[in-house]
Amino acid sequence: MKKVLFAIAFAFFALTGYQAFAQEPELSPERKQAIDSLALEKVRDLSKYVKLIGSKNTPWSEANRVIDRAEELFAPDAEIGVSSLSKTKIEYYKVRKYLERLMRLNYDRVEIDWYKIQYVSDLQRQPDGTYVGVITIFQTFKGYDAEGRLVYQDTTKKDITVYVKRKETQIGGRLIGFWDVLLGDMRVKETTHK
Amino acid sequence: MSKLLKIIVPVFVLALCFKVDAQVLGNLGDVQVDEREFYTMTKQMGQFINRFNYEEDQYGKKLNPNDKEYRNAKKRRDALALLFDLNNPRTSGSLRDFFIEDLTKNNNQFMEFLGGKWFSEVSTKFKWKGKEVDISLIMALEKDGLGSKWVITNVFFSEFQKHFPQGELADREKHFLHPMSHELDFMNIYKIFNDPQIIEYYASTDYQPDYLTLFFYEIKQGNLKFDHVEAVKFHVLQIKNWYFEVSWFNRSGYNSGWLISNLVYLKDNEEETLLKIYQPKQ
Repeated sequence: MKKVLFAIAFAFFALTGYQAFAQEPELSPERKQAIDSLALEKVRDLSKYVKLIGSKNTPWSEANRVIDRAEELFAPDAEIGVSSLSKTKIEYYKVRKYLERLMRLNYDRVEIDWYKIQYVSDLQRQPDGTYVGVITIFQTFKGYDAEGRLVYQDTTKKDITVYVKRKETQIGGRLIGFWDVLLGDMRVKETTHK
Repeated sequence: MSKLLKIIVPVFVLALCFKVDAQVLGNLGDVQVDEREFYTMTKQMGQFINRFNYEEDQYGKKLNPNDKEYRNAKKRRDALALLFDLNNPRTSGSLRDFFIEDLTKNNNQFMEFLGGKWFSEVSTKFKWKGKEVDISLIMALEKDGLGSKWVITNVFFSEFQKHFPQGELADREKHFLHPMSHELDFMNIYKIFNDPQIIEYYASTDYQPDYLTLFFYEIKQGNLKFDHVEAVKFHVLQIKNWYFEVSWFNRSGYNSGWLISNLVYLKDNEEETLLKIYQPKQ
């Protein structure tokens, strides 16, 4: 009897859960723009963190704390895929590993800057209903040696996956809906622009 | 020379239209340099579609369907000129002009993300029986559940294809099991296995090898191991009587990113033939 009740309860919750998902409304252009802004905010946070992590002026412990914050922006299984003009094969890194490599780069001074340009794709739905988009940004990187000479520079295009999901939380006994934005895989590709 | 100018001038004029600081949702960075190359670059395939349809303006701002500029034929004509590889005579000559004219004359043909008939070709490297091999995966977008996903529709691998040559018709016609074989309990069937290279001659006349199943089988057997992606391009058949290919151009200047790298005018049944290559089972 217990088993039957459990099966009925499971079926009920599965069904209502599915309905809640299926009834998720299509996004209006205004809503999409609001979500784009939310997603860009996350990317902006990431760009600030990357600058701090890469800077030789940031103390080690502080850089580690910033890596923790940056990691929280991403989905747990997110990866960074990196290629360069000379090495087109993609190297894969977990987010933490990628940021730690950035922190340990062997230059005396680095400059990381972001171009003003950014491009936000249309949001598309994946089969489970989650919206997915891609934000493209461009970064310049300059590495200097102890004599202040520029020894390495590149410009990279970064295509960052953005997942947007409708979630609900209880505030003061009321159910409040909100859009949860999480970054996913990031493709880093060197461009010819210098 | 005048022809060359005809191509270059609109591109430069459009490039100069891009304000360095123009962006819709606020600026991310602080680099104080000329960013026009990045504005003109078609940065994502989605941007290619938006520019192709003129659903975003020259600053990258998405146009609302109620906006009078949305899909504007004249502006679309200008935007389309930017979407071709200008270093390739095949995509920068009169065929290109004819294509743009065809698209904008009635201005009723557009690319649709979920409209089917466009495919991604993912060139990959695999290890096959210890050696590195090239395999092209053909992918298509498929609606599923509450959204969509990319699925594999076909595979090109020379090791598979070479086992299924078309063969001479006269040669094919020599190989068959006669229609009364059943009365002899198919005692003659052993003969068809004597020459494994032509075993498929004994299949139906309509038989087409299913390379995707072969591919999955080899993966499951552990004979094929994925190594990496080499390149990605797209094949588009959404526009009536036209096929075009979109490739990534990583170069400086005002003609970079996702651009049309091949353009073909299709006659009669050519579209159907091409579709069968990309998506044999529909």
